[in-house]
Amino acid sequence: MLLNSVVIVLREVLEAALLLSVFLASTRFLKLGNRWAIVATLLGVLGAIAYGYLLDPLSGLFDGVGQEICNALLQFATFALIGAVVFLIGRQISSPKGHQPILQALMTAAVALAVTREGAEILIYVSGFWQMTDFFSAVGVGSLIGACIGFSVGVLIYYLLVAQPSERALPVSLVLLLLIAAGMSSQATRLLIQADWISTAGALWNTSAFLSEESLLGQLLYALVGYEASPAAIEVAVHAGSMVVVAALYFVGRSIGSGVVDEVR
Amino acid sequence: MKIKNGLGHFRFGGLVLATLLATASLAAMPEFELEIRNHLFQPDVLLIPANTKVKLIIYNRDTTPEEFESYELNREKVILGGRKAIVFVGPLPPGEYPFFGEFNPQTALGTIIVQDESRAPE
Repeated sequence: MLLNSVVIVLREVLEAALLLSVFLASTRFLKLGNRWAIVATLLGVLGAIAYGYLLDPLSGLFDGVGQEICNALLQFATFALIGAVVFLIGRQISSPKGHQPILQALMTAAVALAVTREGAEILIYVSGFWQMTDFFSAVGVGSLIGACIGFSVGVLIYYLLVAQPSERALPVSLVLLLLIAAGMSSQATRLLIQADWISTAGALWNTSAFLSEESLLGQLLYALVGYEASPAAIEVAVHAGSMVVVAALYFVGRSIGSGVVDEVR
Repeated sequence: MKIKNGLGHFRFGGLVLATLLATASLAAMPEFELEIRNHLFQPDVLLIPANTKVKLIIYNRDTTPEEFESYELNREKVILGGRKAIVFVGPLPPGEYPFFGEFNPQTALGTIIVQDESRAPE
C-alpha cells in the first residue's frame, strides 16, 4: 500500500516537476525572476481541486469519454503554451526586450495546467482512502514520500541545468522543453485513441521486452518524453511532428527578433 | 460480407474485415463488461476477438475510485466510485494483455486474452 502510493504520486508529480524545473532553469538564464513559479503552483493546486471535483460530470460528456477529451485538451494546451514559451525565448535571445511579462504568464499557465491535471489524479487517489483511517496513514506517508522524490528529481534537474555554462544550458533546456512538449501531445493523441476519436491499426512497434514502461527508467522516460513501448503510428507521427514544430518555433522566434532589430537599425 | 471469399488470405481478410467493421459500422462494435467489486475485477479474464476494436464498459461497484490501467493495452482511466467508464481497446493481435487497478494493484488484477477467431476449434 505504502509503496504503491509512492509510485502513483511520484509518477504524477514527476511530469509537472520536470516542466517546472526546466522553466525555472531557463528563467534564470533569461533573468526573469522566479516568483511566477509560486503563483503557477498555487493556481495549479486550485485547478487540481476544481478539476478533481468536476471530473465526475466531465467524465460523462461525449458518450462517456469526457475524461479523455478533457485531459487531452489540457495536454494539447500545455503543448501549445510550451511552444509559445520556446518561441518567445527565441525572440528574447535575439531582441531582449519586452517579452518578460508574456513569458512569465505563459510559463505560469503551462505549469498551472500540468499541476491541475496531475494534481487532480493525486487528490482522487488520496480521497479514496479518506474514510479508512488505517489505510490513510500508509497512503498519506507513501504519497508524501512520492511527492518528495518527485520534487527532488525536479530540483536535481534544475541544478544540473544551472551548473552548466549558460551557452550550453539554454540549448539543453530548449531540447528538454521540446521533448516534454512532444510527450504531452503524443500522450494527448493516445487519449484520443482511447476515446475512439482516432482509429488506429495497432502498434507500430513493441519495445516492452527491451524497456518496460513499468520500469523506473520507463516511468522517467514516460514523464520526460512520453515514452511508450508499443505506440500507434499516429502517436509516433504526432510526437515527431511536435518536435519539429517546437524547434521551428524557436528558430522563427529568433529570426523574427533579429529581423526587427535590423529594421530598427 | 464481401471478404468472405478471400479465404486463402484469411488472416489478411480478417484484418480488413475488422477494419471495415470498425470504421463502417460503429453499432457492430463488440461490447464487453467488467466489474470492480471489493477491489477485484470480475471477470478477471476477458476473451476478446483479434484485430477488432471493442468497447469495454467497466462498472466500479466500490465506493472508492479506481484507475483502470494497462501498459500492454496503453490504456489509463480513472473510474470514480459507483460510476462506469468506457474504454475502447484494439484492434489487437492475439496475445495476453494484463490490466490492473492502479489504486489497488495488489488485488485488482486481470487479463484480456485476445483470440484469433479465424482459428477453427479442433
